[in-house]
Amino acid sequence: MNDTLSLLIGLAMGLNLLALGTSRLPVLIRAVAAQGVLLGLLPLVLEAHALDWRLILITLATVAGKGLLIPYMLIRAMRAAGIARELEPFIGYIPSLLLGAGGTIAAVALIRYLPLLPEHAGTLHVPGAMALILTGFILLIGRTKAISQVCGYLILENGIYLAGLLLIRSTPILVEFGILLDVTVGIFVIGIIVDRIQRAFDSLDTRKLTALHE
Amino acid sequence: MIAVLLALAGLCLILAAGMGRSHPRIWLGLSVIATLCGLSAALSVLGGGEIWLWRGGFTLGGEVPSLRLDGVSALFLILVCVVGGLGAIYSHEYWSEHHYPGSAPKSRSWWSILTLSMTLVLTCANGLHFLFAWEAFALSAYFLITLDHGRGEVRKAGWLYLAASHAGTMALFAFFSALAARTGTWELGPVHAQAGLAPLFWLALAGFGVKAGMFPLHIWLPSAHANAPSHVSAIMSAVAIKMGVYGIVRFSGWLPLPENAGWTILAIGCASALFGIAFALAQNDIKRLMAYCSVENVGIILIGLGLSVLAVQHGQPAWGKAALAGTFLHVINHGLLKTLLFFGAGSVLHATGTRDMSRLGGLWRAMPWTASLFAVGAMAVSGLPPLNGFVGEWAIYQGLLRAVAQKEHAAGVLPAVIVLAGSGALALAAFAKATGVVFLGAPRTKPAAQAVECGWLMRAPMFLLAVVMLVIGLLPGLFFAPIMNSVAAWAPQWSGADPLLSPRTLGGAHTVLACALIAGVALLLRMVRTNGTRQSPTWDCGYVAPSSRMQYTSGSFAGIARGWFVWLLRPEVLIRRVRGHFPGRALVVERIPETVLEKIIDPGARAVGYMADAAKKMQHGRLHLYILYVFLGVTALGLMILLGGV
Repeated sequence: MNDTLSLLIGLAMGLNLLALGTSRLPVLIRAVAAQGVLLGLLPLVLEAHALDWRLILITLATVAGKGLLIPYMLIRAMRAAGIARELEPFIGYIPSLLLGAGGTIAAVALIRYLPLLPEHAGTLHVPGAMALILTGFILLIGRTKAISQVCGYLILENGIYLAGLLLIRSTPILVEFGILLDVTVGIFVIGIIVDRIQRAFDSLDTRKLTALHE
Repeated sequence: MIAVLLALAGLCLILAAGMGRSHPRIWLGLSVIATLCGLSAALSVLGGGEIWLWRGGFTLGGEVPSLRLDGVSALFLILVCVVGGLGAIYSHEYWSEHHYPGSAPKSRSWWSILTLSMTLVLTCANGLHFLFAWEAFALSAYFLITLDHGRGEVRKAGWLYLAASHAGTMALFAFFSALAARTGTWELGPVHAQAGLAPLFWLALAGFGVKAGMFPLHIWLPSAHANAPSHVSAIMSAVAIKMGVYGIVRFSGWLPLPENAGWTILAIGCASALFGIAFALAQNDIKRLMAYCSVENVGIILIGLGLSVLAVQHGQPAWGKAALAGTFLHVINHGLLKTLLFFGAGSVLHATGTRDMSRLGGLWRAMPWTASLFAVGAMAVSGLPPLNGFVGEWAIYQGLLRAVAQKEHAAGVLPAVIVLAGSGALALAAFAKATGVVFLGAPRTKPAAQAVECGWLMRAPMFLLAVVMLVIGLLPGLFFAPIMNSVAAWAPQWSGADPLLSPRTLGGAHTVLACALIAGVALLLRMVRTNGTRQSPTWDCGYVAPSSRMQYTSGSFAGIARGWFVWLLRPEVLIRRVRGHFPGRALVVERIPETVLEKIIDPGARAVGYMADAAKKMQHGRLHLYILYVFLGVTALGLMILLGGV
């Protein structure tokens, strides 16, 4: 079980690096989608000994939401705005990659000093969650296009989701749905805002929004 | 009986505050009635030596209101009543409807609110209500200071007062909340048993010290007292700063004290006395001079209080009682004489329109009443016998010298004796300068030459004050007896001890001295009358046309003594000398800055301003960096938990 778990999380961490290193928005969106699918399958692996129809339903819903619905909407927004590339990031691609890789290594190294339960200590579960959150933050801080930032939020949410799976036995899955719902609503809102920003300013560059401050 | 009197006084003040706006005469009547009621309540408590307590049967802001009047608060209440009443009479002419139609109604209302709130400060025995009363007192004083708010310097002085006052109030909020949290009740009273409360005394000292104007927290005092209308300056200087002194006295009596509290109060007192009078000596503005002199007198009061605290800590009731009686008497004395002096300065201002001593001069011909009453006040403030100023200081000296003579723990107070004597001498110089430059010589400007004496409503309060001051000087025994009740209220453990003061001897000496003075003056007048006088010009260095400008100015009078304190005063001098064959206008301008405010607090405040400006750059509107802040904050918290093991 641990091997499958680590494999899935390891793949998700690899997708982080892809998300950090690419300048193409379609690649970024697909990386996030693939990460969502991988993480959506995790409950099946974790609870393999007690499968029931509710768990399968939840897994299907998560995979459909993270892997299909949200990426589909993002790609639509991207097409509507007519942008395919992130051209002027605050933090360049190579530095982002280095930061992400460094953060991932640090997360794995840090795990030794954290007071974890014995069943979590041997897996990539906790460092994976930390690496995802870190990657989300790097994208949020380092990118200027609103769509890239949405992807950053999604990766951040994936990290929170992964961390939340640690508590799968004590937290009702409803809470997870609550988080996902928040993010979905957030994406709807951001989608609408992106559209408005595009129409009003002829650009999706969030740096130009500073003119609105105060 | 006391409850009825106090309730009546409060009712009169509330009515006066409400009706004062449109009915000046009714307001005056109500103020006088309130004064008489309050005064008789305070005197009966002080004479009987019992504590009057009252607890309400309802709650106000979640607390049961309780009032308390004992020897200590009754003493200060006398001051509130006397100055509140006399100031009302004085302001009826000084700040009249005729001269100030816009602000006279406000002056009357706020005056009543100020006296009412100060009475509440003195009587409230609940920390929460005390803070309410304290805030009302601070705010009403602010509105009185800024009555003449058309002038920029008045507004500036008002803001400085408000800011300083609230800095002090902040410390008081901390003090009362901590006290309530540790004792479990907002009720105020002696809490000697809880030794853990001792550090709270420092908070009280800082909070009340701002209001008391002790050095170096006096920064608001000179400009506020100088720019307020004179009746307001009088109540501020004579009574309002005494509320700060009251707080320090009250809580030094009720709290368990830190070990070095006595020495600290003594040191602050010495610094205030010496530096206050040094600043006073260098001023050219007569009201500013007197404001700094108030700092000096608060210093004298604190020297006495510090000594009393030392006496408590070393168990020496004999000289402790003498010092404390002197302290309390000086509180009253300074209140009376400073009121007289500010009233005198107000009548000069009223007649000439300027406070700048270099524009005055020769006023005694035009204003004989004001001049002679001011001179009485000046003698008293310099601590000259046979007036009241000497009586209080004499008792403090007795305490100090006995402490020195005992050659035990407290013998180190010897420097305080020197400081007290030195500041007394400098006070004499400062007030010789003020009286001489303003009233003697020839008028320096046209307004000074055209001055006229003030009316009897302004003269009567001054005259009354001078009479009371003379009575205290001649019959000190009469006043020491009730003050011993205040001493007993402050330190009940000293009840049996004999203070070894002989006020009767002092009174006798004063009476003899006064008789000798009167006889001397009578003899001199007789000689002048029989021999006749011969008029001739003063020696004028051979000038052909001596003018009134060739007199000692206030700056030159105090030049030498000011020179001793250049390191502290840091005068800013602008000199344009006479140069060339056709010289232009020559000029000397000298300004004495408020050193603590302008050299320490201003630069500090500016540095804070720069830092705040720098911090504002973090507020730039870039979303990415805001997320970075969040990230850094979360990481820092995580690290704290990881490393600190919280």
